[in-house]
Amino acid sequence: MSENSIESICEQAKVIVTCGTGGVGKTSVAAALGVYAAQHGRKVVVITIDPARRLADAIGITGELSNEPQRVSVSAPGELWVTMLDVNETFDQLVRDTSPSPQRAQEVMNNSFYRSLSRSLSGTRDYMAAERLYELHNDPRFDLVIVDTPPSRNALDFLESPERLARFLKHPIVRLLMAPSRGGMRFASAAMTPVLRAISSVVGSDALTGVANFLRAIDGMETEFSRRALAVAGVLRGDASRFVVVTAPSPDALHEADHFVSELSRLGINLRLVVTNRMPPRFGHTSEHEEREASLRSSGDISIMHSLMADLCADAELAEAGVSAFLDRTQQKFPQVGQATATELPADIHDMGSIVALAQQLAVSEPRQ
Amino acid sequence: MELHHFFTAQRVLIVAGKGGVGKSAVAAALAKLCASTGLSTLLVTLDAPSIELPATEGLEQVVVTPGRALADYLSSKGMGLLSRQLARSGIVELVATTAPGLDDLLVLGRIKAFERENRAEVIIIDGPAAGHAIDLVRAPTQLKNAVGSGAISQQADEVLDMLSDPTRCKMLMVTTAAFTPVSEAAEVIEELKNSVGISLTPIVVNKCEPPLPHISVDPTDTTALNAYEYLAQRAAAQQESLEHLTQVIDLPQLHVERRRLQGTDLIDSIALDLADAIGELHE
Repeated sequence: MSENSIESICEQAKVIVTCGTGGVGKTSVAAALGVYAAQHGRKVVVITIDPARRLADAIGITGELSNEPQRVSVSAPGELWVTMLDVNETFDQLVRDTSPSPQRAQEVMNNSFYRSLSRSLSGTRDYMAAERLYELHNDPRFDLVIVDTPPSRNALDFLESPERLARFLKHPIVRLLMAPSRGGMRFASAAMTPVLRAISSVVGSDALTGVANFLRAIDGMETEFSRRALAVAGVLRGDASRFVVVTAPSPDALHEADHFVSELSRLGINLRLVVTNRMPPRFGHTSEHEEREASLRSSGDISIMHSLMADLCADAELAEAGVSAFLDRTQQKFPQVGQATATELPADIHDMGSIVALAQQLAVSEPRQ
Repeated sequence: MELHHFFTAQRVLIVAGKGGVGKSAVAAALAKLCASTGLSTLLVTLDAPSIELPATEGLEQVVVTPGRALADYLSSKGMGLLSRQLARSGIVELVATTAPGLDDLLVLGRIKAFERENRAEVIIIDGPAAGHAIDLVRAPTQLKNAVGSGAISQQADEVLDMLSDPTRCKMLMVTTAAFTPVSEAAEVIEELKNSVGISLTPIVVNKCEPPLPHISVDPTDTTALNAYEYLAQRAAAQQESLEHLTQVIDLPQLHVERRRLQGTDLIDSIALDLADAIGELHE
């Protein structure tokens, strides 16, 4: 059994991170890997960052997904749980955990800047995804955490977000804002610097005061923030994590997949597996050319059928050529990378049965020679 | 509907859609079609453009990023030197952090400036992926609540004026005839209705498979039978998704057929289908 087969990944990993662009079925693949691992006895939790409501329906979750993992009914010796990242709740929990006193925690949580920050800042979302991953990784209920990253080009930002936050807190301007206030001057003295004055003229002085108050309120907590940040980075870069790129055979999906492969390579992370989803199905062994010829030679319904077959062959041939070139490029960076394939279904995946079927397909797909 | 009328009904058209539906290709095709009716057209992308545009007279393309938009904004306020200092100190990131949603507002502010400067008769935005589209158009309101006063607040008001005025700005959603993209488009439209009050154009249904011809397949040819069965299931799924779309999204539809083309050939073929579909719209 190859080290990078689906089977060994799902049996050995403690953390699986799936990345890929939108429209390739990444969330379905994350769920299918979860099903497969549960079938192999693992206690799995799948974190989705921003799932379509349809997926929640698909895996049998009624109502809203929440930060608290919910068990999905699946016939397997292991367990499958799913959860959605709740940025606010995760941030509040982090503040409660790291704050020296409950009063301090409340002070931070009442800050107007903190409230809007935790709600809408995309960088915060990245950081909280990393933080949540760390919590679930240490949760004794689970022995495998599967992270379904957001379908954006910057999905891997969350890997660097702990370091970025630590850098942010050390930024000279931030230190300046955090400087203890002198008498009634408060941050007015700091605002005298031209840079702060400029920022203030753009965002308004209320906003800047809010930020300054926030930074002062979290003063002292950043050591703990940094410690956890390093711990998360350690888990993600450690032996127990496996990274999976999910793609589809369309040229734009493969182009985005190339981007993810390069990013992983740049970050020094070993890519274990490429999953190619939505491959057009093959019927028979003929080529597009043969079918077009046959269509010309025949007439009536038979000719039309050959022409339809020719279109199906064209889709399959184009997809196979594109994927094969992509895998060649990927193997240059990651010679040991494993691969699995799933065929496009006639309809979208929207029930648990089709996710189980997808898991089945991935498990039996031939490794590339 | 006349093409000219379709494109001049508003100054700014924000194109949005879930990943994989072909949003960027549709935005490029719309821009090409618009320019080919003789209207000067600006295609704005929010990321490095991934699509090669067919050479068309009167069509120009620009990239707008939050960093560049901030620099432009500061320059326009006579703070050019400062903007260079800010860029050097890496502080732009911090500014964006102090006011969440600021990056989105900066981008919209730049688009509003293009509109006010009459940079082109029609401005087409290759917008963000569907989910982010909501964040983008909500950013001004959210920022106003967070910052209260100052230049940002004024900028937010001006952007909101543009977004909520259907003669200035509309959003064009792109979907495919598949279950998940339709559901997500419906969710986005519902959210937009409840928040900003941005108006929508007809919805583009991209990558429609042509109708499957009804034929009788040789019953001894199992390969052909399987293939035809697959095609029939696919056609049924598409039909079901289109019916679902009609039920949940109360907008006229512009259908674009899926073609096995790439690059500028693909853009040209989408533009042709869009021209036909727009021509069939009622005024």
